[in-house]
Amino acid sequence: MRSRDILFRPILDENPITLQILGICSALAITNSVLSALIMSLALTAVLVFSNTAVSLIRHHLPSSVRLIVQVTFVASAVIVVDEILRAYAPEVSRTLTVYVGLIVTNCIVLARAETFAMNNSVGRSILDALGNGLGYSIILVIVSVIRELFGTGSVLGIKVLPLATDGGWFQPPALMLLPASAFFIIAAIIWSIRSWNGSQIEETEFRPLDLYEEDR
Amino acid sequence: MNDLLTIFVRSIFVENLALAFFLGMCTFLAVSKQIRTAIGLGVAMIVVLTVTVPANNLIYTYMLREGALDWAGFGHLDLRYLGLISYIGVIAAIVQILEMLLNRYFPALYFALGVYLPLLTVNCAILGASLFMVQRDYGFVESVAFGAGVGTGWALAVVALAGLREKLRYADVPGGLRGLGITFIVAGLMSLAFMGLAGIQFQ
Amino acid sequence: MTNDSPVKAVSVTLVVALVCSIMVSTTHVLLEPVQQAYEQLDRNRHIVLAAGLAEPGDNLSDRAIVAGFTELQPVVVDLQAARSSDDMDSATFDQRAAAQDPELSVEIPREKDLAGLGRRSRFAPAYFYIRADRIERIVLPIHGKGMWSMIYGYLALGPDLNTITAVTFHEQGETPGVGDRFLDPAWRAQWNGKALYDESGTFRFGITAAQLDDVRERHEVDAITGATVTSDSLENLVRYWVGDHGFGPYLEYLRETNRQPDTAL
Repeated sequence: MRSRDILFRPILDENPITLQILGICSALAITNSVLSALIMSLALTAVLVFSNTAVSLIRHHLPSSVRLIVQVTFVASAVIVVDEILRAYAPEVSRTLTVYVGLIVTNCIVLARAETFAMNNSVGRSILDALGNGLGYSIILVIVSVIRELFGTGSVLGIKVLPLATDGGWFQPPALMLLPASAFFIIAAIIWSIRSWNGSQIEETEFRPLDLYEEDR
Repeated sequence: MNDLLTIFVRSIFVENLALAFFLGMCTFLAVSKQIRTAIGLGVAMIVVLTVTVPANNLIYTYMLREGALDWAGFGHLDLRYLGLISYIGVIAAIVQILEMLLNRYFPALYFALGVYLPLLTVNCAILGASLFMVQRDYGFVESVAFGAGVGTGWALAVVALAGLREKLRYADVPGGLRGLGITFIVAGLMSLAFMGLAGIQFQ
Repeated sequence: MTNDSPVKAVSVTLVVALVCSIMVSTTHVLLEPVQQAYEQLDRNRHIVLAAGLAEPGDNLSDRAIVAGFTELQPVVVDLQAARSSDDMDSATFDQRAAAQDPELSVEIPREKDLAGLGRRSRFAPAYFYIRADRIERIVLPIHGKGMWSMIYGYLALGPDLNTITAVTFHEQGETPGVGDRFLDPAWRAQWNGKALYDESGTFRFGITAAQLDDVRERHEVDAITGATVTSDSLENLVRYWVGDHGFGPYLEYLRETNRQPDTAL
């Protein structure tokens, strides 16, 4: 695979969230604010790069019996470091993210990439893969959070864009946007768009309805 | 006793890990295609959670929190920052043991769950439950009630979703929404429904 | 040594554990002072905001926070004795640690424990803003059990020690996007001007979903939609801390004697 492919495939063709069904938990809960989404994306990408690098470095010396736990140890350590840094230099955001930064340890994307890519590829390519998947994840998170924050509060990153009715404007924000469930619906819409545009990801139907009117022809 | 019951029941309905906090989503969406597998996964979740949350509670109380290591003469240490790696280590070990036990005594369930059993190690719901236990400062017995409760709640949610998805197999879903897309929408609606339970309190 | 030998497995594991431990512990030790400094600064920022020394929208620089904080007079109150205590140094007193210490705390009787605390410290800090020899503001730390976390905040009262002038919250873990909407400055602004007690001395403050008529408007605040439990918890924790098991007796003493804290010994 060319380097460019490694970096850019995870954005559309193999997006970790919309195709691989990975890393969904955080995409739903913290996307009510664009700032949280950005910080979370940064944190995840940092952890991804670190863990892919570490796993790739020792991939030839890793006995299969301890493979999973060593990978998990790298990821957990990286997350602790990132969490400490966030609590020291971005304490406000870190508080809104609460347990979700810690949950990057179990974020399926990180372990999936370590197991399926970093174990079999060089350090350089593993880093690219980490950046690519981090980017794919970040894009979805940012899209969902921009929609939720814009239509939920009328502002993006705290900057007022739509004049709220409570401030004398015309915009009545749909409260649904503030609820985490809206993230489900928005991601469904994104999946629908991607698959309508690029038919290759459409799943086969498991059951075809009987064609009852065949006799009429 | 009332407190324990409150924790248990609230974890099932009001604080449902899957539908209110969106933890364990990956497995939740991937394994909910058939009710039978969903039930198996749900049972495994209940067992793992009821064991890991109290186990991690012991680690937190006697090794990590401020002054925890008093009994070993290191009372001035505050090792809470090592929490994440300790909890995931405990979870990995317990899942491994569960795997071996299932393989030996319940082979049918072991094969039904397949690759999803070791994946329980990295299930955010299981780690999340331990993290919430630390955040809310539960005691040991409360941890047992909490673990059993969140496990049951998660199992309930995944079986419900599996039931809905089985019904959806006969629906004519538009191409782009088939499979993953419609599952997201159904899960979103379930989440909204469970929010209706938010005000319930026990006196 | 092949990759599958047990010796290799153990040695790889040990090396990984060692490397990761060093990395994690070093980071923690280096960053802990920074984190604690931020926490202290953040708490002081909330106290300064609650005292009305800055507007909610202001982006306060660290220096501004420190400058604002020096205008306040901190005391440590002995809640039972309803007097300020000389034994405790307000600069080093840690209310949360004291609540765990059996010597410095008391168990709260079940029927009085509206805030779900279990135990509370016998002492609590309070911050006075004095102007022209009278109490302009008093800032009281309040905390209690929310829906699933401890909520910590500061309640500021005006010169009559009954009207709320501001409330801030600096620590909580309620449902993101729903329960935590009590952090929204617009919602908290409703609290300004509400009287805790009415003329007859009955506690009337409330957070309610009901329609507010003229009389209730003086005391009550509109609840947060979809966050009933959090709203109820907030009402209960305010009721506890200004009640007879909290700052109530001390506030009563200040009102009756019309004194300032440094003479209230």
